[in-house]
Amino acid sequence: MKNHARSYWLLAAVVTVVLLAGQCGGGKKAAPVLHLFTWSDYIKPELVSRFEAQNRCRVVIDTFDSNEAMYAKLKAGATGYDVITPTSYMVSLMQAQGMLLPLDHAQLPNCRHIDPDYLAIAIDKKMAYSVPYMLTNSGIAYLISKVGNFEPTWGMFGRADLKGRMVMLNDMRETIGAALKFLGYSLNSTDPAELARARDVVLGWKANLAKFENEQYKNGIASGEFLLVHGYSGDILQVQAENKDIAFVMPREGGAISCDDLVIARSAGEATLAHAFINFLHNPAVAAENTGFTQFLCPNRDSYGLLEESIRGNPGIFLPREIKAKCEVLTDLGEKNALYVKVWDEIKNGV
Amino acid sequence: MKRSRFPFIVTGAVLVFFYLPILILIVDSFNSSRFGGAWRGFSLKWYARLFHEPAIWEAARNTLLIALLVTFVSLVLGTASALALHRFFKSRLQRFHYTLVYTPLVVPEILMGISLLMAFVAAGVKLGMLTIILAHVTFCVSYVALIVLGRLQDFDFSIVEAARDLGASSWTAAWRVVLPMLAPGLAAAGLIAFTLSVDDFVITFFVAGPGATTLPIRVYSMIKHGATPLINALSTLLLALTFTTVLVSQRLSASGALKSRTME
Repeated sequence: MKNHARSYWLLAAVVTVVLLAGQCGGGKKAAPVLHLFTWSDYIKPELVSRFEAQNRCRVVIDTFDSNEAMYAKLKAGATGYDVITPTSYMVSLMQAQGMLLPLDHAQLPNCRHIDPDYLAIAIDKKMAYSVPYMLTNSGIAYLISKVGNFEPTWGMFGRADLKGRMVMLNDMRETIGAALKFLGYSLNSTDPAELARARDVVLGWKANLAKFENEQYKNGIASGEFLLVHGYSGDILQVQAENKDIAFVMPREGGAISCDDLVIARSAGEATLAHAFINFLHNPAVAAENTGFTQFLCPNRDSYGLLEESIRGNPGIFLPREIKAKCEVLTDLGEKNALYVKVWDEIKNGV
Repeated sequence: MKRSRFPFIVTGAVLVFFYLPILILIVDSFNSSRFGGAWRGFSLKWYARLFHEPAIWEAARNTLLIALLVTFVSLVLGTASALALHRFFKSRLQRFHYTLVYTPLVVPEILMGISLLMAFVAAGVKLGMLTIILAHVTFCVSYVALIVLGRLQDFDFSIVEAARDLGASSWTAAWRVVLPMLAPGLAAAGLIAFTLSVDDFVITFFVAGPGATTLPIRVYSMIKHGATPLINALSTLLLALTFTTVLVSQRLSASGALKSRTME
């Protein structure tokens, strides 16, 4: 019987020790730790090591797969993350909910390098809560050898000769937004009359589309199944690396620019280190290196001159100034979002 | 009379439906193109790159550590609960216990994830590996308990009594008689618990803390920005590992069964 009881105690001891070991997970308590919560492969690993060496700290990166999942998790009370990279529309929501720390610009001298052309169209123009990190444009990619008489306009989706070989994004804000831009309205319009006209335009395009789709279009244009697609610059750049016959442009009417921002969580334990990290990422040399790695554009004006020609000379990434001025950032529409849901349903169900 | 071909065709179609996607994934992991659309030649570069991705290996290490601990803890708790359920099944308390054990199987994962997260936050537990382990044990215990309970239904308890009659202490009887006879059920339950823990995304995403990224979370987030062929290569390696384990365990249990038959 004595044997019996001792075994139980041994078991309990083993479990406790193992659980505690799991909890600490080999952490060295000496150096401060910065926790970054971001998309995967969204920062060049060598830059992380450099920051760690310069600041005598450790950077731990955790990843999320959608803004909504990240928001739900933090909203439910998860803490421990310092720097987060949500998309701009989500930043507005998080700020409204009091989840973000106001930025101290005295600790962010490198913010003067940020492109004022982008800030002019950004949501948080003063960078009170967020600093832009990476931009992606949604435009048109096409096969140069297969599409004759290409013109940089959203009207290309009306071309009947490309019927069945074109794809638009399965994203109501992006696709209705393209039609709004085509008509000369704002991407963030909440005027029912404008939205009704945009709906009719998209319905006209829909007759020529193979489908509305968000992921497979990359494979489709890489293999030549699709000739012309509506897509994100970051995705298309990856495809261009393999297939030189693909060009990417932003239509002359302008389109959507989306931006992931650097923000600091209100619950951050390492606010000073978090500021240092944001400041580090906007060092022009660092920003240029990071853009080369992620293939998204860090809107750091003084880094542009340091970029490789393949990025610098790509008109789909480096928008000409007059087109950039016509682009807009998708904003969070709150309750007005229902207007878009209704129009999108009509488009999906209509012929 | 000629036998109908219909069952054969249906079986074939179902198997193709099961295994074709896996086959495509394996083939694509050797495709040098980053995009699955076109074949651009055989290449091992994704496997080579996989070995230079510390973040993936860190996640794999976390996942394995969590799964092993979860399997152990839920086997102990689940078996204890199954024994109690079996012995006192008539009592009202145990019927209530049964309902409680059963419920986690039907509660939607997202609900469980959010509620566990809120519970941890309210209790002031720091999110990390520990919270993932606790969350996984919460649902794995139910599976283990039900599987072991099934095994206990046709368990001959007179053997235990015989052992006690022959002078075995209760501890010896449990260790030398009950445990070996339950072993196949425990192995099955352990495998299920291990698989569920390795597999889980939804609950894990919510209760994971900083620095405790598991493989499913990592893979899921890679679909957006990372290279999908890397995921294919990783999945192929995992599949190879799984198939080998299954084959080995089948071989072992087959030879074990043979041995026990010859001994009779």
